This record gives sequence, structure tokens and C-alpha cells, in this order.
Amino acid sequence: MTSVTYKDTENRIRALLVKDFKLDPDMLTLDAPLEDLGVDSIGMAELIFNVEDEFGLKLPDVAVHLSTFGEVVQFIDEAVANQRASAPSPLAQGVPTAT
Amino acid sequence: MRRVAVTGIGLVSPLGHTATGVFEAARAGRSAIHRLQIPGAHRLVAPLAATVQFDGTEHFEPPQFRLLDRVSQFAVVAARRALADASCELSQAEREHAGVFVGTGMGGTLTIDEGYQTLYGDNSDRIKPMMILKGMHNAPAAWIGIENAWRGPNLTYSTACSSSSVAIGEAWLRLACGAMDIAIAGGSEAPLSLGSLKAWEAMHTLAGEDTADPARSCKPFSRSRSGMVLAEGAAFVVLESWERALSRGAAIHGELLGYGLTTDAGHIARPSVDGQAAAMSAALAAAGIAADEVDSINAHGTATQANDVAETAAIKRVFGARASQVPISATKALHGHLLGAAGALEFVLSLLALQRGVALPTMHLDVPDPDCDLDYVAHGARVGAAGRTMLSNSFAFGGTNAVLALRAMD
Repeated sequence: MTSVTYKDTENRIRALLVKDFKLDPDMLTLDAPLEDLGVDSIGMAELIFNVEDEFGLKLPDVAVHLSTFGEVVQFIDEAVANQRASAPSPLAQGVPTAT
Repeated sequence: MRRVAVTGIGLVSPLGHTATGVFEAARAGRSAIHRLQIPGAHRLVAPLAATVQFDGTEHFEPPQFRLLDRVSQFAVVAARRALADASCELSQAEREHAGVFVGTGMGGTLTIDEGYQTLYGDNSDRIKPMMILKGMHNAPAAWIGIENAWRGPNLTYSTACSSSSVAIGEAWLRLACGAMDIAIAGGSEAPLSLGSLKAWEAMHTLAGEDTADPARSCKPFSRSRSGMVLAEGAAFVVLESWERALSRGAAIHGELLGYGLTTDAGHIARPSVDGQAAAMSAALAAAGIAADEVDSINAHGTATQANDVAETAAIKRVFGARASQVPISATKALHGHLLGAAGALEFVLSLLALQRGVALPTMHLDVPDPDCDLDYVAHGARVGAAGRTMLSNSFAFGGTNAVLALRAMD
């Protein structure tokens, strides 16, 4: 099950990994294991940090077990959708709120 | 005790990146001290420092670079250079016991400063996930161990301004007693954050700016001295048992004869003549040499009021009537004070001075101080004056005095 924003989420996370981890975008297929991409547990903490900035999200501080690039995209996409459902906010677009 | 050879030198320093370049700069009395350009520098009374020409992205792939504070970047690059200079290949079995000994006074203080800027300056909770791993004091040593798969002791010493002399000395102890055959030892420091500079300034230990020429602001042993100038950089040496170095036909830079370590256990900051003299005597005893065999000295020579007088008195106590005939070099006038890396850089400069037979100058000593009345090799290098055997002094806040005794190859 994917949301309408799934492709957008995938592209934005791919761009983060390319920028921060200097990965080849061609390696970032949905079934690519994170281990093979060099994203270890520390790398995941850093990716989550950057994802929070990119998406204007605050992810819950609980352990998640994600093993492929696709699982990361799925996890973030759902978090974006949940946040949007609970508090429709332009933050989800990474745009500061102006009131 | 076994003899210990120095077989590799690696530098990332304000005076340059090669042994020859650094030595020639020091010999010529070219100061690397300059006005510092960092955000907030206008808030410093005297924005001075000796900085390193260095771009970490030229030395590390991005995935590793993002994990490294500048202090670790310096350390790893200087260690690479030392190991390349030693051109030694270690067997798998040797790697299991090869040691890494690193001194640093302030560790990853740039990373810590950046984190606190986020937390307190920006009032944000967005502390980056790598702050601990980048900021911890043992990160430089850990990365050297990781890069080379050296699995013996991996130790970090933080005794302020004597840190890297302690690191080299502690490595010497283990090599000399036969616990290890090879080690890399030295120090790294990257302390030039606004927070750290302001803290040093608040202690009234930093030099005022020489208005005619900022490069001349650090004036060890001069009556016009006003303090030290902070600096960044790293220096490492490869130390090997004499037998190992000879058996592989290594080019030996010199011999680390011994190491003296004493603690003032007095004042937290004020240097002690007793402690400094005892450290020099302990180094002589460890080296198995008499004071008369020492031909020259690389002084701690910070250009603070307190150190230079105490160090002069301590040298007189150890060398007696001969003190005034021993050339004393205070190279901090040129490269500034690298804090936890200072001792290692000065140990290397001492080795190079012995190799080339040149006593390095104490620059900017324009106004003699009656309380500092020894031979400091003022103004210019002295060819043929370094002799064969030297002491390199490092003294520290906290009272840890470390002195290394070294000798040139015959």
C-alpha cells in the first residue's frame, strides 16, 4: 500500500542519501539492503535526523528495524501521512508556518 | 631496557606538512602566527592563532569525513604520513600488538562548540547524532587504529599541554620494557573555536597582538612577552624497538633515550620549578645519561610570565653552572601553542635539529628579561650548536611535567 506521495518521498530520501552518503543513485533500488549501502545503525541515526529536517517531521524516539531502502521509504512515507492526518500542516512540505 | 628508534615522522602543522618544510620554516624563523578569521573573531581581545592549511575533504571520502572532527582529520593524516615515512609493513600477528598513543588536550572541541551553539545559541534541540562520536577525546586514536587495523593498546592521554609528550613517553615505556615492538605516538589538537578562544582569553594567558607585526606576537623568554598564541595541528612518530628497526633496515631518525614524568601536586596552573626540574632529572635517569651529556634543549617556552621564569630556574637547577652554555630553543614563537599536540611537534623539531646539527632560534626575543638569563638562541638559528643529545620539555596546567630525552644517529 503506498500513498500518493510515495514517489515524492522516495525521491527526496534518495536525494538525501546521494548528498550525505555520496551513494550512486543507481544503487538505490527499493530492494537494496541498507547494509550493502553502508548505512549502519549510526548512519541510520544520521539519516533519520536529516529526514526530520527535510520533511519537517519529528519521528518517535523508538527503535525501528528497517533493512532495505524501500522499507525506509515506506516508514517515512507513513510517518508523513500520519502527521498530515493528525495535524494538517504545511510543515509536512518542509515549509515554515506563517500565520 | 631495550633501545627505541624513531623511524617515521608525520606532520600537519602551521609551519607546513613535511619534515623538511617545517624544519626550514623554523630554522628561518618564519612565524605562522597571524590574525584569525573566524566568525566572532571581533569579540576576541587579540584574535591571533597559528592555523594549518588543510582541507579534510582532500583526505577522506564523504562517508568517513562526516564522522571526523578536525582533530581526528589532523591525527589520521599525520599518522598516515608517519607510517608512510617509516615504510613499514606489519604482519597480521604484529598488528595484534601494535599500539596507538595519542595526546589531545581539548579533543573534538569544535564539534562540542557547534552542538552548544545549536542548543544554547539557536535555542534548538536539533543536536546532530554524531556529536558524541566526533567530540570524544579518544576519537583520533580510535580512527588511527581502525585505519591500520592495529589492535594493541589504543590510548589517549589528556594532560593539557604535556599530553603528547606523555603519549610518546608512555609508548616508549612499553617498547623499552618489551611489551610492544612498534607504536605510533603523537598528538592532535584543533582548539580554534570561539568558545575555546574566549575561555583561554578569560584566563589571561593569551598574548596581546604585536601591533607592528601580528606574526611576532609570541615572545618566549622576552621581557616583552605577554602570553601564548593558540594553534592547531598534529604530529606523530613511529617508534620501534631498535632490533626491529635494524632487522628491517629502516632509516632511523634518532633514538628516544628516555622519558621523565612528574606531577607538581601543587597549584592547578602555576608551574613549579621543583616539578619541572624533577621531570628533567627523571628523563636523564631514564635515559641513563648525565646532565653534562645534554647538548641542547627544546623548551616548553610558552611566553607566559610564569612558565618562562620557572623553566629558566628549573634548567639552572638541573644543569648548574653549565646551564648558560646549553642552547635553549622555544619554537612556540613560530608555530604557536598546539596544546595537546605541542610536545609531539617539538619532539619532531628536536629530532630534526639534531639530524641537521642546527639549534633552532627563539624568535622575537627583543627585550632581555633579567629573570630569563640563559642562552635562548635568540633571533637566528645556530649552525652546529644542536649537538648530539637533547631534552624536549613539556609542562602543563594540572601539573603534569613530561620530558623526552633524544639522541641523533651517529
